[in-house]
Amino acid sequence: MPGRAVDSRGAAGLAEDPAGHTELLAEQAGIEIPHILQARRHSQESFTTISQALDGEDIPDSISVCVFGSWARHELTSESDHDWAILTAQPTDEQDPEIFAAMRAASRHLGGEGHAPGSQETFGVPFDVHTLAHNVGLEDDTNKNLTRRMLLLFESAAVTGPVHAPGREAILDRYMNEGVKDFWPPRFLLNDLIRYWRTICVDFEGKHRDTHDTDPKWVARNAKLKTSRKLLFAGGLIPILLCHLYGKDQMKTFLARWLPAPPLDRLSAAFQWAQAEAEGARALDAYDRWLAIQQDSQARAELRSLTRQTREESDLFTDIKTIAEQFERALLTLLLDSELMQLSRELIVF
Amino acid sequence: MAPALLAPHSPLLRQHGLIGCSTGYMTDQREDWEQLVVEAAAISGIATELSVISEHELPSLLEYLQLDPVLPFRYISVHGPSKQRRLGERELVERLASLPPWIDAIVMHPDTIDDPSLYRPLGRRLVLENMDDRKDDGQTAAQLDVYFRALPDAGLCFDVAHAKSIDPTMREGEAILDAYATRLRHVHVSSLNEDSHHVPLTDEDELLYPMLLGKCRDVPWILEAPPA
Repeated sequence: MPGRAVDSRGAAGLAEDPAGHTELLAEQAGIEIPHILQARRHSQESFTTISQALDGEDIPDSISVCVFGSWARHELTSESDHDWAILTAQPTDEQDPEIFAAMRAASRHLGGEGHAPGSQETFGVPFDVHTLAHNVGLEDDTNKNLTRRMLLLFESAAVTGPVHAPGREAILDRYMNEGVKDFWPPRFLLNDLIRYWRTICVDFEGKHRDTHDTDPKWVARNAKLKTSRKLLFAGGLIPILLCHLYGKDQMKTFLARWLPAPPLDRLSAAFQWAQAEAEGARALDAYDRWLAIQQDSQARAELRSLTRQTREESDLFTDIKTIAEQFERALLTLLLDSELMQLSRELIVF
Repeated sequence: MAPALLAPHSPLLRQHGLIGCSTGYMTDQREDWEQLVVEAAAISGIATELSVISEHELPSLLEYLQLDPVLPFRYISVHGPSKQRRLGERELVERLASLPPWIDAIVMHPDTIDDPSLYRPLGRRLVLENMDDRKDDGQTAAQLDVYFRALPDAGLCFDVAHAKSIDPTMREGEAILDAYATRLRHVHVSSLNEDSHHVPLTDEDELLYPMLLGKCRDVPWILEAPPA
């Protein structure tokens, strides 16, 4: 098979389901990740509470209430935004009584003061799988549509309702029904994820166009870009590359099995598969230190007080830079210094 | 100055992206920091270690760095003094703490540390190096444990040649890396001659080292002898 990187182990060395592999890798490496574990406990408790609350609401089976971001990463803190949405299979009218009722129920339980989704109406609103899957590329694939589709795939969970899982599969179908080759990562999906990552990075600059380095949100956004946003990207990129272990008919099943797990679990399983446990331990250590900052309200307040101009004077910001560097280096080892190297070389640049 | 990207003859070194050299082996330019930086960058612009292993070199480095020179490296460590020590520990730490915040690591030999608590102000920048067979402490994972308990924020600079000098099977080196995986900041790479001085990688070590350096792929490797 000229030009194809084929792993002689096949998929045998790879975890069937990466859920829980963060804890496994930490145990294997003999390291402690107290802040990751605390975040997971808090997230699970909150998820159970919200799930029970919404089960008591009259939400029809044509709707899922979904959560994104730190909910899906299992990183909730007391100050997290609640990025939620009403998901339907087909386009709907926001005035539809069932949609309205679901929106009201969701915002009652998820839209509390200080936790509302961001102001750009990407979340906190209804959207549908058909629009996400139909409009891939070209003019109708707006920034909002791309963001929703990527997050539905790589960083989302259903609190209630049966639309989410089939919705994710429908989107995978869009990417993988044509042009996918055996034992080769699905290029269409890979390209769209890379495009999304680059869009996040460019939008970061775009948000500060008029603030002349004085925007108090620059520092916090910059820190998140280097950490949790990078985790979102890497947590999708690595499973896509790992599709090289499967024939084309098994790839969708593999991704449907892997993507429900939090991205850190996917990466941990990948570090173990690549026999890069030491580097994986350092990735977890860095990310644990990041979550320690996220869980510290004083540290978060300090971040909010900094601007691009004043950040270099802050020990906290210096700490975040070293965390981000340690995290990124470990990820680059996985991509460029492991068995994924050939694929990364061939697929990530062009 | 346009920094170089190292393309060494050694297959082991060629595979590693985060590589640089120590100024410690550039004996002809001692304390000419501008020239030392130029030489280091000519080998690799990715990482470097500015060596003040003899205490008398420290003032000139501090003076040079206070000029806020434009340095091309992405990772810069300083190897702190282990020879010709005259300053008391408290005073030494004060001087080291005054290194600019963009210095990523400050390497110290644990066998020169009498009172670890005095080094706490260096925080996460302090990095302890495992010692070779000429020293009487800081050689093994167990010996390093005492220091890391006293300095919970300190990192590890893993010297692979030192590890081999203690245990040629490399098992003790593996124990150090496994015990302190999350403390690892960078690696010193070289071979040692009969006098335990750093020399370029031998063919034997080229084959031996990957078993440990395979656990260090995400950190900078600092060459302690000229690359072949």
